[in-house]
Amino acid sequence: MRIEEIISFLGEPVPRSEVGVTEKVKAFVIRDSKTWWTYKLWVLLDIVGSLTFVATYYFVSQIVNTDALVRSGYSADFLTFTVIGISFQHYVWSSVSSLSEAIREEQWAGTMETILSSRTSFKVFLLGESVFRFLVGSYFLVASLGMGLIIGAKFNVTWGSALSVAVLAALLIMSHMVVGVLGAGAILKLKQGDPIVWAFSWLTQLFSGVLYPLGLLPDYLQWVGAAFPLTFSLDGLRRCLMNGEDLTSIIIFSDVLNLALFIVIMLPISLWFFKKAYDSTRQEGALGQY
Amino acid sequence: MKEDKLIEAFGADEPRLRSHVRQFFGVVWANIKILLAYKSWVIMDLLSTVASVVMYYFVGLQVDPLRLAQSGWGTSYLAFSMVGVATSHYLWSCLTRLSHSIQHEIRAGTLETVAVTPINILTFFIGQTARGYLVSLIFLVGVFVVGIIGLGAQFSANPSSIGTAILLFLLMLVTNQALGLVAAGIIMVHKRGDPVAFIVAAMNEFLAGVLYPLEMLKEFPPLQAISMAFPYTHALDGMRRALILGSSLADTAVMADVLVLSGFSLLLVPAGLAVLDWGYRTIRMRGTTSSY
Repeated sequence: MRIEEIISFLGEPVPRSEVGVTEKVKAFVIRDSKTWWTYKLWVLLDIVGSLTFVATYYFVSQIVNTDALVRSGYSADFLTFTVIGISFQHYVWSSVSSLSEAIREEQWAGTMETILSSRTSFKVFLLGESVFRFLVGSYFLVASLGMGLIIGAKFNVTWGSALSVAVLAALLIMSHMVVGVLGAGAILKLKQGDPIVWAFSWLTQLFSGVLYPLGLLPDYLQWVGAAFPLTFSLDGLRRCLMNGEDLTSIIIFSDVLNLALFIVIMLPISLWFFKKAYDSTRQEGALGQY
Repeated sequence: MKEDKLIEAFGADEPRLRSHVRQFFGVVWANIKILLAYKSWVIMDLLSTVASVVMYYFVGLQVDPLRLAQSGWGTSYLAFSMVGVATSHYLWSCLTRLSHSIQHEIRAGTLETVAVTPINILTFFIGQTARGYLVSLIFLVGVFVVGIIGLGAQFSANPSSIGTAILLFLLMLVTNQALGLVAAGIIMVHKRGDPVAFIVAAMNEFLAGVLYPLEMLKEFPPLQAISMAFPYTHALDGMRRALILGSSLADTAVMADVLVLSGFSLLLVPAGLAVLDWGYRTIRMRGTTSSY
């Protein structure tokens, strides 16, 4: 047998599509939820932590002047403003960062190569991990918003604004899955201290208007916020949930367009980046290293 | 040889190296090397420091100075929140650094290796916490430098009030590190999760007045009563009085804070050491030093 034939024989790709993607993603979700549910005390503590963080801003709201909120087009209610900001920022941040953490976890446990040597591709692995993280994140989001309601946040919801919230939430999830894929690519290469998730966390807290309206930032800093999908998501969600506006509002419609534009531009870039990182890590044989 | 004597012979502790100072610096040096190996992480942490101060600067632009002044803390929310944010980072280190590093050693399988070397295990644990203190010190200094020089935060401190603030800060470290010892003892035995540290940290963030004046809790007596049960509440109150209002130990409110913290120290330090000792002895007896 000639060398070329041996190489060709060994290089033959293993067929990977006997089990459907949906089945595999479902299996990931079931596996991760079982692990998650094993640590019941932590589930409870995580909720307590989120709720106390939201409740802190009840007291901060007692010393705040709402003029800046009104000037930015929101109703004069700092508590509702921050409850929405904190809840959604925490939602996307925890979902995005936990995706990188999941990869690190698999590397630590030595199961990364085991999974990838099975008939599961990395894309399916990533999708399975993402879906579970966003599901858990949604659970905390509902808990945070519920806590906000209990301590006095006021949501002004109509059928139209509820529908708009659903559209904005879907775009929020899709746009942040893109960020998650970028972060996953970075953690594969760097192993520790994912700069994309870090930058995403801090820059959005600073420039996306989580705790204050963007109008308070100097003009030269306001444009930084426009680079993050959370900025448009929070603006749209607040206008819907605080003011009862819907997609017929030009501002909300433009938020939706900006989010869609972000996804269209960044999705191919993030997939390309991830593929590069994945291929390079495989070539180095460092997929299971930590 | 009788069975009991055999067990006794095998159970005897190995003689440990005597120089605790050398061992301590050895562990600290190892930790610094590990820390510097992750340069991008160090840079990111420094930038996070700047970002967190700037964020509270913008939050402060929404705060009504009159309402803050009515609570007795002057008119600068930036100064008010800076003391809370900078010290709460330290608090988190005190509570979690040791338990996280133990968890890390257990997962990496190196705690067993350390346990069989001649190093004194308590010195090893103290050395492990020093890295957290070092990182938090950088954060603390960074917060004050950015806040005062970059954003113009106003403090009314004088040499006597700064000395008072340092005393209160040290008492804060002692009391909360004692709670961190409790958390570490529990994590050694239960392996996963850090419930004590998490609850204490979350409750401190919420009830000690990190971001709002404690006077607001007067409307909620049960919450106010709980907040008084945390040493950090008293430490933060005293440090703010010293740094923002320029008070010193001559002020009865500050003196009361010092006395309460001293009382907490007397209670918590022996309790923390006892729980850590229990945790370490339990995992050695069970043979679970490296299982997670």
